[in-house]
Amino acid sequence: MGLTFSSLFDSLASLTGWRTNQDVRILIIGLDASGKSTILYQLHLGEVVATIPTIGFNVETVVYKNIKLILWDLGGQSSIRSYWRCYFQNTSAIIYVIDSSDKDRLKTAKSELLSVLDEDELRGVPLLVFANKQDIPGALPAAEISEELGLAGAENARPWSVRGCSAIKGEGLHDGLDWLVSSLTKS
Amino acid sequence: MYHLFHGLYEFLTRKEEFNVLILGLDGAGKTTFLENVKTQFNKVEGIHPDKIGPTVGLNTGKITLPSTILHFQDLGGQRALRGLWHRYFAQCHAVAYLIDASNRDRLDEGWMVFDDVLSSPQISGVPLLLLANKQDAPDSLTVEEIRETYEDWWNRKHQSQPRTPLSPIGGTGWHTGEEERRRMGSLDVMGISALQGTGVREAIDWIYIRVQNSRKRDEPDD
Repeated sequence: MGLTFSSLFDSLASLTGWRTNQDVRILIIGLDASGKSTILYQLHLGEVVATIPTIGFNVETVVYKNIKLILWDLGGQSSIRSYWRCYFQNTSAIIYVIDSSDKDRLKTAKSELLSVLDEDELRGVPLLVFANKQDIPGALPAAEISEELGLAGAENARPWSVRGCSAIKGEGLHDGLDWLVSSLTKS
Repeated sequence: MYHLFHGLYEFLTRKEEFNVLILGLDGAGKTTFLENVKTQFNKVEGIHPDKIGPTVGLNTGKITLPSTILHFQDLGGQRALRGLWHRYFAQCHAVAYLIDASNRDRLDEGWMVFDDVLSSPQISGVPLLLLANKQDAPDSLTVEEIRETYEDWWNRKHQSQPRTPLSPIGGTGWHTGEEERRRMGSLDVMGISALQGTGVREAIDWIYIRVQNSRKRDEPDD
């Protein structure tokens, strides 16, 4: 009986849009030293904090446009990338961070990303790629990163976007989050 | 008994889903158009035009119309990204091609890309709507003028091999070359202002009516 009422209430609430505070789980992944933790704390605190290589994960909650985003920043070293999959369940969006100045490891970044996108649990989930470190001279712009990654065509239901940003300067992060939130709310 | 009613309910409220591709050069206003569509048809406000930057990737949007759901896919239009378009052709049911009617310098480039889209065999059967965007700009070309510039461009392109198969389809003034003659889907042009939202509703209506006929496109997959 309680269950009936609860589910009835849930469907009513979703109809009228009462539930403003939805919890949205977002994973921040990418190779090591691409700037995931810096991005996380830039979004959370609005300032650059000194980070050390993440071995486990960092979780912070950011309230953005009435939506509660739970950002999971997972360690990116090659030995612990295999643990990313443990966090895929119930994930609403992925932020993939790339070091745009590190051209040698773009291929690795691509193969890691494609293997993540193959997962069933992440089907249709919006993908935001941050081409980070745009402040470094010689960093590849977003369009070239996109070409290198060759993202299109694997599946059509997934919204995706490649955006340049600089986590150190805080540029481009909020534009990216704007896009991510808008692609979350309409689906 | 419950399942009987439930099935009946599902049947009556079933909605057909269609994919609509939004293509065009960079800066034509594709994302602004998509956000305006979302603002007009959904309760939620789309992204404000001031905040829209160049798209690298795929933006999606969904609107619900009577017995139909339209999924919009807005692809980046920069030169490097145009090579990705064809990967989305197979699953689309309609194409909206935007051209910036206020930027005369890039019309030729726009027509060249448009011609490629128009003659793609994968989408020769789907309705294609050409939208002359930025009608709000003071010096923008009207729909008629846009049509004329396309004819001029087409004539110039085919000057090297003169032939006169220039028969308009149903008097609309569209030239049909050898490759375009195979086109089975509808083709039309409209003027809009994605910024102010004028003409957007008419464009969606046009697409809404045309996609109803493209249902058969799905059938071979079943």
